[in-house]
Amino acid sequence: MITRLLALGGHEFASRPSDRAVCELLLRLATTRAEGRPRICILPTAGGDTSEQTSRFYAAFSERPCEPSDLSLFRLGRRPMALREHLLSQDLIYVDGGSLVNLLAVWEAHELGEILGEAWRQGIVLAGQSAGAMCWFEAGITKSSGRPEPGDGLGLLSGSLCVHYNNEPERRAAYLDAVGNGMPSGYGLDDYAGLLWEGSGPPSALTARRGARAYRVTAGDSGVIESPLPARFLPAPAPAALREDIAEFRRVRRMRQGAGWLG
Amino acid sequence: MPSATVHAGEGDTENFGPLYNHTETACGHHLTMEATLRQIVAFGGGGFSMESGNPLLDDYVLKLTGAARPKVCFMPSASGDADHYIVRFYRAFPAERCEASHISLFRREQGPADLREHLLSQDLIYVGGGSVVSLLGVWRAHGIDLILREAWERGVVLCGLSAGSLCWFAEAVSGFHGAPQRVEGLGLLPFSNCVHYDEGSSRRRAYHDFLCAGMRSGYAAEDGAALHFTGTELSRVVASRPNARGYRLDVVGDRVVEMRIATAYLGGDRSVAPLMPLPEAMATEVAA
Repeated sequence: MITRLLALGGHEFASRPSDRAVCELLLRLATTRAEGRPRICILPTAGGDTSEQTSRFYAAFSERPCEPSDLSLFRLGRRPMALREHLLSQDLIYVDGGSLVNLLAVWEAHELGEILGEAWRQGIVLAGQSAGAMCWFEAGITKSSGRPEPGDGLGLLSGSLCVHYNNEPERRAAYLDAVGNGMPSGYGLDDYAGLLWEGSGPPSALTARRGARAYRVTAGDSGVIESPLPARFLPAPAPAALREDIAEFRRVRRMRQGAGWLG
Repeated sequence: MPSATVHAGEGDTENFGPLYNHTETACGHHLTMEATLRQIVAFGGGGFSMESGNPLLDDYVLKLTGAARPKVCFMPSASGDADHYIVRFYRAFPAERCEASHISLFRREQGPADLREHLLSQDLIYVGGGSVVSLLGVWRAHGIDLILREAWERGVVLCGLSAGSLCWFAEAVSGFHGAPQRVEGLGLLPFSNCVHYDEGSSRRRAYHDFLCAGMRSGYAAEDGAALHFTGTELSRVVASRPNARGYRLDVVGDRVVEMRIATAYLGGDRSVAPLMPLPEAMATEVAA
């Protein structure tokens, strides 16, 4: 069983090309594992399960070949759900951003950490952005209390992660400080940069926006070393309307070819 | 399964028993007490969250503070700090009524930087409904549990409905999702608690089962009824609806004894607006 985990520095479920590229990657990762239509579940816990988060997620995936769902722990009263069964039946579990401290506290209260670890070991793809990316590591830099400061994660992956890396200079500064002062070494991810772990080897770096980078951040004898990682560029897929036009064009072309009109 | 004995209580009459008969003076009595009086008002359900247009319970807790324009801080943590809930709080607690604020633990970059200082400066801390399990998890992560105890000891009135009621007790019956669960609360009140305690509800059956299985004795309240504790003593039960009641539950031998507590209806007019569902249930549903 290959474990897969995708950590993203920051993105939105929006219609910008770089956002569509991230969605496409999530869909592709879910599809590699699925036998039928891939099942993708969002956990919006870190943001307090806002309806804005879930509706953007559904807007991004409902027209795509997959089965999207959301597990909103604050909304279970309205829609009870068997947590373990639902999560373990997914192909990809996506964790959205927000407060890392609250995310872990609420997960702990609902004993979700163990379930997610189990899902990961079963080969279910784990993914997330911002707090939803840092939560898989031993530690991260969170602004859960206002100022950026170190916070613990679940520790499925060893080391640490800092998100919104060059987008929030004060967060990067806090991270460099923390790594210099004994936080385990790790990675910095700009918005629209990502790291994909497949199996036990080192991660591969990805970027959905020109200039967005992933960094390896380690403590050395002469201070903290920050080295950018070579990243594969994720091209943006065509927007939904254009996809239909292209499909239509191809259908027409096939018909013409079948009819021999184009010789 | 041991059967429950239900005592009818005093019904709708004005006889509230020796402990409760001073209906007129009870509220004023608290106003004249020292500021360090520890008070908790635990709503079974009701207040602005559920009773739009019926401010009786909210007026009651505002009056308890003894302040002309009380400082009220709303804690919507149990709802995940739902925006629509916060907006409804500010609408129900306008500037002419009080000095209102809220704390969003999911958006700490906004709002007061020093939570302790802000909470200790309040006259009333009002906790909203939602998931008590999530509420307690988030509070502990931010050290709110300790701050609230301190606030209570310093005389800040604490109140809340549903999850915002359960949280103050040592043990609670949470029926937020799935089968009712036994949950450990903050323990300011050394009892158990059950909210939305309506006839035939699964919470009621579960509470009786939990009591038989060793849960400590405690109190239950129907929607519209509120348990007012002074220190760790129940001083009275008040209600925003004529028929809403509070209950005391004890285990005697192997039986649950449920006693209906005489309840003071806070309104003059006996026709009241209907109850609304909890705000959590009113969140915009997305197509799943």
